[in-house]
Amino acid sequence: MATRKYKTSETVDFVIVGSGAAGGIMARELSMAGNSVVVMEQGPRMAPGQFEHDELKYRQLSGITNNPVLNPQTFRNDPAKPAVREGRNSLTYARVVGGSSVHFTANFWRFHEIDFNERSVLGPISGTGFADWPISYSELEPYYTKVEWEIGVSGLAGASPFDPPRSKPYPMPPLPVKSSGVLFERGARKLGLHPFPAPMAIASVPYRGRAACVQCGLCNGFGCEVMAKSSSVWTMIPEAEATGKCEVRAESYVFRVGMNARGRATGVHYFDADRKEQFQKARAVVVCANGSETPRLLLNSATDAFPSGLANSSGVVGKYLMFNQGGGAQALFEHPLNEYKGVAVTRILHDYYDVDPKRGYYGGGGLDARAAAPLGWGQNVPAGVPRWGDGFKDYLEAYTRSMSVSGHATSLALETNRVDIDPELKDAWGMPAMRVTYKDHPDDLKFAAFLRDRAVEVLDAAGAKLIEPGDVSERRGGVHLLGTCRMGDDPQSSVIDKYHRTHDVKNLFLCDGSSFVTSGRGQPTMTIEALAFRAGEHIARFAKANEI
Amino acid sequence: MSPKIPTRRQFLSAGMTLAGAGLIDLSWSDIAAAAEHADHMAQAGAASLAPTGFATLSAAEAVEVEAIASQIIPGGDMPGALEAGVIYFIDRALGTFFAAELPAFRRGLANFQRDFAAHSSTATPFSAVGSARQRAWLHEVDATPFFNTVRRLTLLGLIALPKYGGNRDRLGWKLIGFEDRHFWQPPFGHYDADYPGFEPYPGTKTWTA
Repeated sequence: MATRKYKTSETVDFVIVGSGAAGGIMARELSMAGNSVVVMEQGPRMAPGQFEHDELKYRQLSGITNNPVLNPQTFRNDPAKPAVREGRNSLTYARVVGGSSVHFTANFWRFHEIDFNERSVLGPISGTGFADWPISYSELEPYYTKVEWEIGVSGLAGASPFDPPRSKPYPMPPLPVKSSGVLFERGARKLGLHPFPAPMAIASVPYRGRAACVQCGLCNGFGCEVMAKSSSVWTMIPEAEATGKCEVRAESYVFRVGMNARGRATGVHYFDADRKEQFQKARAVVVCANGSETPRLLLNSATDAFPSGLANSSGVVGKYLMFNQGGGAQALFEHPLNEYKGVAVTRILHDYYDVDPKRGYYGGGGLDARAAAPLGWGQNVPAGVPRWGDGFKDYLEAYTRSMSVSGHATSLALETNRVDIDPELKDAWGMPAMRVTYKDHPDDLKFAAFLRDRAVEVLDAAGAKLIEPGDVSERRGGVHLLGTCRMGDDPQSSVIDKYHRTHDVKNLFLCDGSSFVTSGRGQPTMTIEALAFRAGEHIARFAKANEI
Repeated sequence: MSPKIPTRRQFLSAGMTLAGAGLIDLSWSDIAAAAEHADHMAQAGAASLAPTGFATLSAAEAVEVEAIASQIIPGGDMPGALEAGVIYFIDRALGTFFAAELPAFRRGLANFQRDFAAHSSTATPFSAVGSARQRAWLHEVDATPFFNTVRRLTLLGLIALPKYGGNRDRLGWKLIGFEDRHFWQPPFGHYDADYPGFEPYPGTKTWTA
């Protein structure tokens, strides 16, 4: 079917910047509501067959991710020091139609009730931006369910005693358990913990016209060539295009939001595939560009009326950057696990999800069982293992007997942790590059060490022959890009309202990881997508009522 | 409890495996061209294990680098860097997607050779001395950036897809026990073969569609 094409001179109802986890849903919801939509995506559009089992390309050579030369960043852990360009970018995301939903691992945890009102329950934490969300779990629950059924999530409802309330079960059964999952479950149950089948955005059975997972083993960092992984490019984007109202414009890099003298967004300036500057007119703009590119776009869109960046009267655009801390451990077992087969994660536990005041520090999280792909395994060698020679070869030969238990946990919101614009560095298009400033709160590191120790216990109880506790160190980057345009009721301390409308610009909306107020306990994409379904519904309502 | 942990070495978590690569500037067409060329060169040199037919390194440089790589992952009962043709990957990588590293690599190799000659008081190149002497010298320099670069390239050349020039006859995958297939079915490993199924916890009620 030929998809709809719009002229740049046509004023479409919505331009959506980004085609990933949030952008794909936004496109589908707004176009199904009858709006004309153009989705701008920095990267190319790839067919299923173009995704290869090539770990070098995808995990080492920025095959589909932002490139440290073309899309450079600078980093510092102290705001008083100059940021420097390093060999790797601090913040990583996919540049391809479908965005980071193409290469995600597909862990789809719902947040719990406590994630939304933890500040009220625990009280303030000095020196942080710890705050409640302006929405509750119960408000978001129908949209979590919508994600599970519209996008496609496999899991077993009710399996975890710590699960929040839900209105429907998962539409698909859990994926087949791997040896890492069996060992994790065995060890955790011995300790009195409650491991359960991991909810994953991967089809365990044929679902909505897509094939079931073939257990190829390459999810984390890879696109799914059989379309079993529930990425936007295989789920929401085709449904948006099927409305006849939505155009996905690949290789279109939006670098500035257009504004008029009345303080309204008029569309977006972008570079096309030939790096020629274009402008797409629109009644409203929805930025879903991820927690790093969304604040960068706003800051690069400064005007005389918005000298510190668009929608930044609060001054918090780009601030409160959060990842997800978490420690872990790796182990060798007697027999082969062959973790290169099957989906990345099959068992998790949430026994440590809630904060325990007795620990004396803030922090909560979960554990899962997983393993690295071969090149990752070969390069991330434990500090005490010989790095070359026969001992290193012995390590390589142990690959099939290895697994990890990884922690996924909270990161506190700190005003000094931020994405802003580097004063000197430009990207390959001549646009000011990102500058990242980040240093973990001490509680994040303490809780990561706590989870690391719990991971060691689980592996020991599972009968591991050798356990290597993980390094708990300060983060210098991540792939969970959260909190940089936080949601809130107060325009003086937040960027968007509870409907994702910017406080400052009536027809400018933001929805992605940047909307988060707290980090949750890891695995944020499920919540990004639930927010997108909810925001899409409200924004469509605003458009229909001529309130954009 | 006191878990039995033979070593307490620091270990990166699996979640950190995106880390590790250097400064890279390439497009998909660059990668495809590199893979095609590397495959061609590897085929050309596959008739023997002697390093020939290089596009980036000189034959003399290649012999030296291959000798280092062969100590990083030695041969034996299971194949090592030599048998897997890692040098062809290194040659191609330094001419294409890691080309930015080539000047520093060449300087590092020259320093490596100069320092070895000074240390051993001989004009015999590193690649021509015995294995024990090679290992002894590498222990002296295994913290240098040059050694780390060779080490990283050796590992990548061992395990990356054969189309990039290394991993000849999939020997790198054979070493680590990785079987290259695009689909699998359970049981995947030893421990999931007899899994009895998930047993719900008391007080919970599982719920399916």
